[in-house]
Amino acid sequence: MIQRYSREISTGVALLGLLAVLLFAAPSFFRPANLRELLIGNAALLIAAIGMTLVILTGHIDISIGSQFAIASVVMGLLAKEGASTAAAAAGGIAAAAVLGAMNGILVAGLGIPSIVVTLASMIALRNALRWATEGKWVQDLPATFQWAGLGQAGGEALILILTGTVFAAFAWASCNLQAIRLLYATGSSPEAARLAGIRPPRVFFFVFMGMGVLTGLAAALNTIRFSEVQGNAGIGLELQAIAAVVVGGASIAGGRATLPGTLLGVLLLATIGPALTFAGINAFWEKAIQGSIILAAVVMNARGKSAHA
Amino acid sequence: MREWRLLALLALEIAVFSFTALNFFTVGNAAEVARLSGEVGLLALAQTCVIITGGIDLSAGSMMGLCAIVFGVLWHDAGLSIGLSILATLGLGALGGFFNAFLITRLRALPLIVTLGTLSLYRGMAEGITEGVRNFSGFPQSFLSFGQGFWFGFLPPQAILLGVAAVLFWLLLQRSVIGRGLSAIGYSPEGARYAGIPVRARLSLVYTLSGLTASVAAIVYVAHLGQAKSDAGTGYELMAITAAVLGGTSIFGGSGSIAGTLLGLLSIVLLQNGLRLSDKPAELAGVLTGVLLIAAIGMGQFSKLFKDERITDGIEMKNSQVAVLSTVIIAAALLVAGSNWWMVRSLVRESPRGTHKPVVALMPKAKGDPYFVSCRQGAEEAARELGVDLLWDGPTDLDPAKQNEVVEGWITRGVDTIAVSVENSEGISTVLRKARAKGIKVLTWDADAQADARDFFINQATQQGIGYALADEIARLLHGQGSFAVVTASLSAANQNEWMKHIKARLADKYPKIKLAAIRPSDGDRDRAFSETQTILRVYPDVKVIAAIAAPAVPGAAEAVKQSGRSDVKVTGLSLPNMCKPYVHAGIIESVVLWKTRDLGYLTVQAAKAMYDGVLRPGVTSIPAGRLGNVEVRGDNVMLGAPFFFTKQNIDQFDF
Repeated sequence: MIQRYSREISTGVALLGLLAVLLFAAPSFFRPANLRELLIGNAALLIAAIGMTLVILTGHIDISIGSQFAIASVVMGLLAKEGASTAAAAAGGIAAAAVLGAMNGILVAGLGIPSIVVTLASMIALRNALRWATEGKWVQDLPATFQWAGLGQAGGEALILILTGTVFAAFAWASCNLQAIRLLYATGSSPEAARLAGIRPPRVFFFVFMGMGVLTGLAAALNTIRFSEVQGNAGIGLELQAIAAVVVGGASIAGGRATLPGTLLGVLLLATIGPALTFAGINAFWEKAIQGSIILAAVVMNARGKSAHA
Repeated sequence: MREWRLLALLALEIAVFSFTALNFFTVGNAAEVARLSGEVGLLALAQTCVIITGGIDLSAGSMMGLCAIVFGVLWHDAGLSIGLSILATLGLGALGGFFNAFLITRLRALPLIVTLGTLSLYRGMAEGITEGVRNFSGFPQSFLSFGQGFWFGFLPPQAILLGVAAVLFWLLLQRSVIGRGLSAIGYSPEGARYAGIPVRARLSLVYTLSGLTASVAAIVYVAHLGQAKSDAGTGYELMAITAAVLGGTSIFGGSGSIAGTLLGLLSIVLLQNGLRLSDKPAELAGVLTGVLLIAAIGMGQFSKLFKDERITDGIEMKNSQVAVLSTVIIAAALLVAGSNWWMVRSLVRESPRGTHKPVVALMPKAKGDPYFVSCRQGAEEAARELGVDLLWDGPTDLDPAKQNEVVEGWITRGVDTIAVSVENSEGISTVLRKARAKGIKVLTWDADAQADARDFFINQATQQGIGYALADEIARLLHGQGSFAVVTASLSAANQNEWMKHIKARLADKYPKIKLAAIRPSDGDRDRAFSETQTILRVYPDVKVIAAIAAPAVPGAAEAVKQSGRSDVKVTGLSLPNMCKPYVHAGIIESVVLWKTRDLGYLTVQAAKAMYDGVLRPGVTSIPAGRLGNVEVRGDNVMLGAPFFFTKQNIDQFDF
């Protein structure tokens, strides 16, 4: 058990270590209000990272989610401006991202083009297409009920937390118990073996990329309803954050190995570092270097866990 | 096979752009294309070797940033000679590459995640060393000529360097036992090990080479732009990977060729260059690059579906054929270009002035920035009034190298007036001087270049004026004492750092009881500004004023203050009225400092036309500027007026 989940455990230990340091250096970090803000602020990242976990599990990668995120946000804003309710607008944004995800899926599954190439191309093309269409303009003057879906700040925040928690719990449960998600493990471990076992890997890949789109759309919706305006260039670098969280959480980029609790730990670790440095009074100029070091430290720990296992 | 498709694509691009793009098919443009491909080309060559082993190096662009900074530090601070500084920088590049290699080979960690970590680490070190603010310039002319000059009168040194590097990489990859070994590792590391190939040593070699190449690219970059800054090479790794993959290097490892990578690079660069000269938006080039990538790889996959086996024999033959063919095509292109060049030049000389509409080319720092979007509206208004052709182009994100590229394009295209909002004064001044030497009128607006590189500067407010105005506003909101925090754009943003300097000076001078608690970056992202402000409010409960000095950061900070329910905290800063209106009315944003951006764009085009007509010339003290009336000219500055405070009372009068 310990050996099997050594990577998740080492990430958890790193997170606990960071929290322990904070307990002494900046106890005010643990105020409930601060923790709540931290969770809400990273809800979108967690949702995107759940999708990325599934993609990486099948041995693929999706670096276009930042561009999908931006497009879903703008679509949502435009629909709301046309008078759609927040829920309907969010559904529209999710649908748009789902279509984009499905396009990735068709190219990966249908033509067998490597996913990093497909999503590199769609990352560049989609971001540029969005800029071309909007010329960087924000979607402004939205109805007052757009923000927090008309539930007020407390209600909206509760909505975000409940939705995120439910989605995470559902996927965490499904990844252990549901045939559909177990298929991903099988396909990721060995597509050829999965094929011989009667699974059709291309179909699995298609649905994983479309699912990634849906989750990216949901992440965009949860992020967008926190504000009263929609910015045109959201989500730059989201793909790198999500991939880093998944891998720090113990997933193998080669596929076949990833757990959702691990991803949660990865998201929490990465989400804590930024504010933790501010709380500890560390100069912002060194922040990126420290974040890089922590990713590398997690890589080193995972690798050591692996060699002990092997 | 891939190479033939790419050659066809290149031929198509050249044919199309020769008709649609002004002066595309000329020696001058070929030289510029070669110069602009220098840095990315070097990275792409090294990346090809890395990808062939089944790996990837995402840290190459960040390594460029770190190397540029260390080079600057060694030369400027440590007082080493240029030669020694270069040597040490190359050593650092190799070391950084070896560090990647060490983690990958010893810990058997995956290249993607290792280099993702070092991507942050190297860029972060560059930012840390310079504290975001410092940059290095004033390099000797002999060094700069390497990046900006011409050899034999027409050949940019970058072209020669890239050529030499390509030959070396070709020898390594396709003419040596080591190269075969790299392919073998890409197909199967395990198999390669059993076949007696020293896998670890070979992998160490390619990653070290990648780091070393990045440091060479960094030196070229510094020589090209004349300035070493921590943001050098941001995003270059993706362009390099795109070029290699488009050139047929298999992302799974095993196959790929140097000729293919060069062709892939050339197709992307020509696409960008041709579209620019045809006055098509830069975003179209991005969209087409993505489509090309899918099409090129998709066609390969498609044909594989019909042919069961890959042709593995005859690779050597094919490459030499491709090399010969490429040489023939390039030589022919140069020949035609030469004659074409003379023709175009004589045509340009003969075309009488005044019979065509004057062409004014206007460049923002970043096209998507809402600030510049509103400047553009004013510029278009003036262009309609005056009947001039307005070109509007620039980098999509802040990128000094891209600015040079666009100006070069305009010089080639032959516009009448160029007006630039300058991101990097040192870097762009060389090309602006070149434009002036060709008889093009040059203006700067929003941010200035060196004085001898332009005729006039459209001055919306001095950096000092803005800094002082902000400092006074902060002091007013704090009633002379207390602490405040700043949310800036990125840590290395030049304008913001300049404003910060003046804010600090003013506070130290006039308001000693005011304390600056923290400076946090927002990277021009509203959402990031929001979460940074939340953290600031938690960590520094005594902060009573947030000064956000980037347009999207002000509404982000205001939303954070609003959600925290802290009515004792006020937000001020530089932003656009439209994004801030709701918060100004809610009393969270007390005031926004800015000039009338629409008028700035309007005045710039008015001044450009005035200069074209000879009305704006040295010595005049005012010019007529349409609906703005007579505008003061002070020396070589055209003055828009003092910064403007948008408040609850007046903000509804403005719509931008």
